[in-house]
Amino acid sequence: MDSTIHINKHLTNAELQNIEKLGSPDNPVRFAIVGDISADGKYSHSTLVATADELIVTDYSTGDVTERIAFSDIDEIFSKRMYGNAFIRVRLKGEDKPKNIFRYTFSISALCDSVILYVNNYKAGDSVESRVEAIAAAYEKQLSVCPKCGRTLSAPGVKCINCEGKKKIVARLVKYIKPELPILIISVIISIVTTVLALLPPFMTQTLVDDVLGGDNVTANGDVHLFGIFTTTVVNSLIIIGVVLTATYVIRFGMGAIRGYYLRKAGDRIVKDLRDDVYEHAQHLSMRFYDKTSTGSVINRISGDSATLQAFMLRITQEVVVQFFKMVGIIVIMLIMNPTLAIFSLIPVPFVAIGSRIFSKKIAPFYRRIWRRNSAVSSVLTDTIPGIRVIKSFTNEKNSTKIFVDKTQEWYETDYKAGKILNAYPAIVNFFVSMGSVVIWMLGGLAVCGATNVSGDISVGLLVSFISYAAMFYEPINFFANLNDSYQNFLSSAERIFDILDAEPEHDFGKGNKDVNMRGAIEFKNVTFSFDRTKKVLKNVSLKIEPGDIVGIVGTTGSGKSTLINLFLRYYDHYQGRIYVDGVDIRKIDMEYFRSQIGFVQQEPMMFHDTIFNNIAYGNEAYSVDDVIHAADIANAHEFIARQPDGYDSVLGERGVGLSGGERQRLSIARAVLKNPSILVFDEATASVDSETEHLIQEAIEHLISGRTTIMIAHRLSTLSKANKIVVVDNGRIIECGTPEDLMEKKGKYYKLVQIQSMADKVNRQKAEEHFE
Amino acid sequence: MARYIITDADKITRTDTYLVKVECADGGCFEELEPRRLFPHTNLNQYITLLDSSKKEIAMIKDLATIAPDSRQAIEDCFFDYYMIPEITEILHVEDKFGVLKWRVMTDRGEIEFSIRNRHSDIKLLGKKRLLVRDSNDNRYKVCDIANLSKSSIKKIYSYL
Repeated sequence: MDSTIHINKHLTNAELQNIEKLGSPDNPVRFAIVGDISADGKYSHSTLVATADELIVTDYSTGDVTERIAFSDIDEIFSKRMYGNAFIRVRLKGEDKPKNIFRYTFSISALCDSVILYVNNYKAGDSVESRVEAIAAAYEKQLSVCPKCGRTLSAPGVKCINCEGKKKIVARLVKYIKPELPILIISVIISIVTTVLALLPPFMTQTLVDDVLGGDNVTANGDVHLFGIFTTTVVNSLIIIGVVLTATYVIRFGMGAIRGYYLRKAGDRIVKDLRDDVYEHAQHLSMRFYDKTSTGSVINRISGDSATLQAFMLRITQEVVVQFFKMVGIIVIMLIMNPTLAIFSLIPVPFVAIGSRIFSKKIAPFYRRIWRRNSAVSSVLTDTIPGIRVIKSFTNEKNSTKIFVDKTQEWYETDYKAGKILNAYPAIVNFFVSMGSVVIWMLGGLAVCGATNVSGDISVGLLVSFISYAAMFYEPINFFANLNDSYQNFLSSAERIFDILDAEPEHDFGKGNKDVNMRGAIEFKNVTFSFDRTKKVLKNVSLKIEPGDIVGIVGTTGSGKSTLINLFLRYYDHYQGRIYVDGVDIRKIDMEYFRSQIGFVQQEPMMFHDTIFNNIAYGNEAYSVDDVIHAADIANAHEFIARQPDGYDSVLGERGVGLSGGERQRLSIARAVLKNPSILVFDEATASVDSETEHLIQEAIEHLISGRTTIMIAHRLSTLSKANKIVVVDNGRIIECGTPEDLMEKKGKYYKLVQIQSMADKVNRQKAEEHFE
Repeated sequence: MARYIITDADKITRTDTYLVKVECADGGCFEELEPRRLFPHTNLNQYITLLDSSKKEIAMIKDLATIAPDSRQAIEDCFFDYYMIPEITEILHVEDKFGVLKWRVMTDRGEIEFSIRNRHSDIKLLGKKRLLVRDSNDNRYKVCDIANLSKSSIKKIYSYL
């Protein structure tokens, strides 16, 4: 037997020994939970220890035992979840009231739930080994969440990709740069050539001023000894210099244009690949991610942030290299021309560098804030523009505008505050740079006049040329100073992009087990689920459905009916318990295959901005026209489609605008027909349509469900006329399950619901008749 | 829906960690009611609902200030245990590395370190003053008025607001 004690926290040997001492050689400690709050709700530690038949609560620091309860004395054990914390409560035999024995926050709620199961399984007569096995699974699950960052791990025990590798973000982006490497290398070479060419004009200026116009290299007959190579007339010298300069500019700008074109092409491909990757990843993210992230912010990341990353990647691969060469080249040239002036030119560099550091620290939080404000504006747009009909129907235009204006005002305030720093910094840098030029003018001017002793000869041409190089020198300096700024911007964009790329996708999509012949036997076994650990939406639900069963799920709003379906469709996988299809745990079936076997008809069917044909054939383009028309026929949709002027080619507006609710619903049923699934799920399919349409839909559903396992959630019990099994869900539990006849006989909740609904139907009918008369 | 509105003539006594008994002025009595705030973030002392064991609303306190002081104390004691939303009084350290955001803070319940899974949705400003933070385990923390935090605390979390 494994003698390891399961503990949720790393303990010192002394602490571990204290825990071990609580057991005995015959009855050792099996597991311990180190809690995070004291009984009075302060952050501290306490420990809950379990042997085979005892629970022991101790003070973590002193080791003093505060509770020791034998399982045989326990009548009832349960957890009371409150807000942000919970208690394990125990009612002892012979006592009326339960008492709190252990308080904890939600950080360890899964472990505490397993303690309750451990005790209850003892009462059910399970062996200690099987109980410990269940506990081990809970501890393992606890480890499937990174203890450092809380991120769900791809498998229990693996290293967290967020915390383990200190992979630099830039390194991760290499994947996108790699395919463009040839173009990028050629571009860099072109850039180096154009940079060298850019350094030529100041040298030509010096030759022009000193040799041609200044007469320094003029021979006795008035000719000019040009570049120290050959002699020619002044006019020819001017023409040669002009031609060289023109050629330089033509080559420089021509090559620049070619480089620009290829760079744009490479850049566009990078941004395209990035966007495609992020979008594809976003498609496979779990519903849990979308529950917590606004669609506006996801859209912003795919469109805006990927462009920021692309811009920076080009900057890093191109400009950094070019500017570096330029900077080194100019320093070398200036040192050769005049070392003293060159050193004076370098004086502003430390100021610029220090300024850049201060600036980047100041500006980084602003970039994050600006993004948040922009994202908030986008969220209002994605919320309100698609819901414009609702806004208009409630004449809420003014309020809607106010919400938007408030958000843009917040953006404006953040952005203009950032603007102060953004503009002040370059102004200060430019001031220092200009002062550097002034110093060179002053010193150089004095040297030309012979008023000061600057090492080396300084001619007017050399000074003019030097000033030009000095001005060019500050371009790379400025570039590197501002690089930090765009690096910060890039980092915050990268962080948001990786938020999506690193989010755990739905498990095993397209990679898992397809070897399941789905006949339609479904079993929920002890399923417990909570969206956010604050409230259990499903509590220990067990349910068996045989192949071909038509099961109606009824219950009041918020009872957990739809959650049951959401878990079955694997929108959420983080539940306790198991769901089986034909004896196989659904989490072990390939998700793509699994979902392809299920037809799902929702209350509000989602249509896309496309033709009716494509909307029916959604998800598979291989369907023939006959297949689609046949599906539309079965779904009672063909007739109204035929009435459309454009028939199956009618293009629907966004979300199916142009069709009535009932028509959209029939299209969604046609979709399900086309899929030919083994299992059908209807979630209030007729809830939002009139009686006549309900009849049409009902008829379509009846065509569809014959011979298939069908789960139907319905408010209107009349839609469940074909059901051979009814499941009544209340407050997250199944309270009744059986044939409709059995449940009617039982006169329980289902009976009551039927009574209430028939009374309501009767009243409605009477009212309608009176109104009609 | 018929709900009993509690006034200063009724008596509330705490019977368990999160349960109270209401003795009505008219002689009626409700046992084992669970008080809950209807506005746990924006209106702590008004609109308090009292639910029975099946989570059905039995009574309501419209304003804690309008009931008897002992009754008010009983409700407040229940809430102190029920609602654990520690108030952050100081931000001690913020670490933001490789997409992981970690805060170490001092709260009215002691010092705690936690990670934030999604900085964009788990840090929320309610209005201009109130801050709500949710950690990766779904525990909540609050700052009632950001202006009450020290300058160095605000500086540490400024970019996430």
